[in-house]
Amino acid sequence: MIKFKGVLGRRALLSGIATAAMLVMGGAALAQDISGELAILQWQGGVDAEMWAKLEADFVAQHPGVTVRELAITAQGDARGGIRTAILGGEKVDLIINTWPAFRKELADAGILRGLDDNWTALGLDTTLSQSWRDLGISDGVSYGVPYTYGDRSGIWYKTSQLKDAGVEVPKTWEEFIAAIKTLKAAGYDTPIPMPAKYWAHGEWFETLLLRTGGVEAAAKLAAHEIPWTDEVVKTALRKYAELLNAGCCGTPEQMFAGDWDMSADQIFKAGTGNFLLVGMWVNARAKGEYGLTEGVDYSLFQFPSLGLGHDDTSSVDAKELLATSNGANPDAADAFLTYIVSPEATKILADYGYASPSSNADTSLLGPVQQQATAAVAASKVQFVLGDLLPGDLVDEYRVQLQKFLQDPSDANIDAVTAAIEAKAAESY
Amino acid sequence: MSISAADAAARSSQESSPVGGGRRKPIAVRRRRLGEVPAAWLLIIPVLILFAITVIYPLVETIRLSFFDIKGLGKPKFIGTGNYIKLFTDPAFRNTLWTTLMFTLGTTTITVSLGWFLAMLCSFAPQRTLVFRVMIFAAFGISEAVSGYMWISMLRPDQAGLLNSVIGLFSPGFAHPWLGDPNTALWMIIVAASWSGVGLPLMLCFAAVQGIPRTVLEAAYMDGAKPFAIMRFIMVPLSMPGVRVAIFINLLGALRAFDIIYVLTGGGPVRSTETVGYFMYRESMTQFKLGYGAAATVILLVAVMVVSIPAIIQRTAGAK
Repeated sequence: MIKFKGVLGRRALLSGIATAAMLVMGGAALAQDISGELAILQWQGGVDAEMWAKLEADFVAQHPGVTVRELAITAQGDARGGIRTAILGGEKVDLIINTWPAFRKELADAGILRGLDDNWTALGLDTTLSQSWRDLGISDGVSYGVPYTYGDRSGIWYKTSQLKDAGVEVPKTWEEFIAAIKTLKAAGYDTPIPMPAKYWAHGEWFETLLLRTGGVEAAAKLAAHEIPWTDEVVKTALRKYAELLNAGCCGTPEQMFAGDWDMSADQIFKAGTGNFLLVGMWVNARAKGEYGLTEGVDYSLFQFPSLGLGHDDTSSVDAKELLATSNGANPDAADAFLTYIVSPEATKILADYGYASPSSNADTSLLGPVQQQATAAVAASKVQFVLGDLLPGDLVDEYRVQLQKFLQDPSDANIDAVTAAIEAKAAESY
Repeated sequence: MSISAADAAARSSQESSPVGGGRRKPIAVRRRRLGEVPAAWLLIIPVLILFAITVIYPLVETIRLSFFDIKGLGKPKFIGTGNYIKLFTDPAFRNTLWTTLMFTLGTTTITVSLGWFLAMLCSFAPQRTLVFRVMIFAAFGISEAVSGYMWISMLRPDQAGLLNSVIGLFSPGFAHPWLGDPNTALWMIIVAASWSGVGLPLMLCFAAVQGIPRTVLEAAYMDGAKPFAIMRFIMVPLSMPGVRVAIFINLLGALRAFDIIYVLTGGGPVRSTETVGYFMYRESMTQFKLGYGAAATVILLVAVMVVSIPAIIQRTAGAK
């Protein structure tokens, strides 16, 4: 006792014991109190849906009093229409899976979301998610989103044997990349970049070029329309894009408009007629599952080449997050799930499916070599969310159509016309 | 000869009609009908209620929404005719009007003319062409989304696409991105939509031809008419009711076209295949601008009514 007194003091000891007791009892009470139905709005299909089923089952195993009800939204492509329809139809859920920051703001503005700032520390999220990840889930200064997985959108996928056979080293700079395209064309590849411009994926190149040209600050300002689309930084990014097109990267505009990213992936990994693809980490699952390739051996990815304009430490990322609702029937269970989704158990399930988690509980050694490479690249970068997902719905549509027009004619005059057209739409959208 | 035969058939039809002579009977008929009114209403009320719920209410609600500015889950704001004014100044919508017109005329012309031509051919040997007719009509039963995926593989931009490989037989190495080229994408969609749509005109025209009284055809043969004359003076004119119905149905379907466009091109490239139906979907469901989408729906509804009301009036008049 004397010893204790000397080291800690009685009051400190008592308060420590009391705190520990409260934590233990509180945790136990929390675990006991959680019961009832937890409703989750889930719109993902295929392997993602399977992964979610596992996550939910694992959560229920930890909280036997809880049952999980999935409100499944069937959607091809953008699920927001289906989610809005469900919400307007009177459906009430406790958690919503989301991947569009602009949609998070829309939900928050409609009063559907519950801010998490008051509970952030109590839920243990301050220790599992860094401030930069927390920032990604903030709308109008309020924390709503708990990101549970993310992907590198500035990684360029390639088939290792193609580059090796053509004598091309993995390009590190823009000049090396342009030179690699010319070398690959000389080696018989007509379209080293089979540009998927049918819907949205042609925007990926612009978005990383914008980051590398103006940095995350400029990209964030553009997303918020704090700078106009006619700003020089946008035009510079498009001129860089034009350099790529003028190097003969991608074939004719008609060829680019003919397919989406999956067709481009087929051309690279299956038909062997193309070389580079800039799109999200879901290519990893397709390369392994559909083409039977070995990660890191048959295919890999490299981070977008540096432009030397002072912003080469930036990367575009996507993320999925959980949003807690203000009208859900079971906020306690929802809070418990928010804690669970960044737990070691959940991050392991995510890793089993090839998904990286932003949680400090995640063990990156469980990921495959390409995923580890991408994770390390993102960790070393200033990140910015995919621009297309930050823009208002009608603007993003116009932005993609105008980028198609840019692909048809990447001249300076048309860059002026295209940026002016997007700006005109932006003026109505905000 | 044929005219007199048709006249005879028409006269025969009038004589056998229960209302054929009808100007002296109205009083008796009216009294009897008035007496039946309560029972008639009793029978018709469930249908009227169903009609009100499934047709009238959505229609009124769509028109109401078209006067509001609704963005996402935000609160609706009344803007009067603002959406309509914006629609007609929106270059994207004006483009859809032109595309819809081209698509509607293209698919209707191809499906009805091809269906009618095949019906004429089939009518010479109805039994032997049964399987052929069923096969063509089966395409009509296939969902446009499913047939769209089939056409995607046929119109692949590389040499593996069926169309490219067939052309490649004559021009080795030929590969054209049919759906990626704004100049060919709409035509390919018209062809794809016509492929699945030709079965209905075929059946309607074939039924019309089969409805021609055998006595008329036999009389023509006995009078020494050649097959071409029989086709020109009897089968063609008497198949026209079927053609009119086929045109009417195809026009309505084409005006509302969505599925095949969604699957094949998603309205692209550069909005070159975006019809009013697709525009409506994009504005309402992708961008969730429900008021603006509702205004486009009302415009489409007016277009459908412009097409259908004269046809309905004509059919109703024919029924008298």
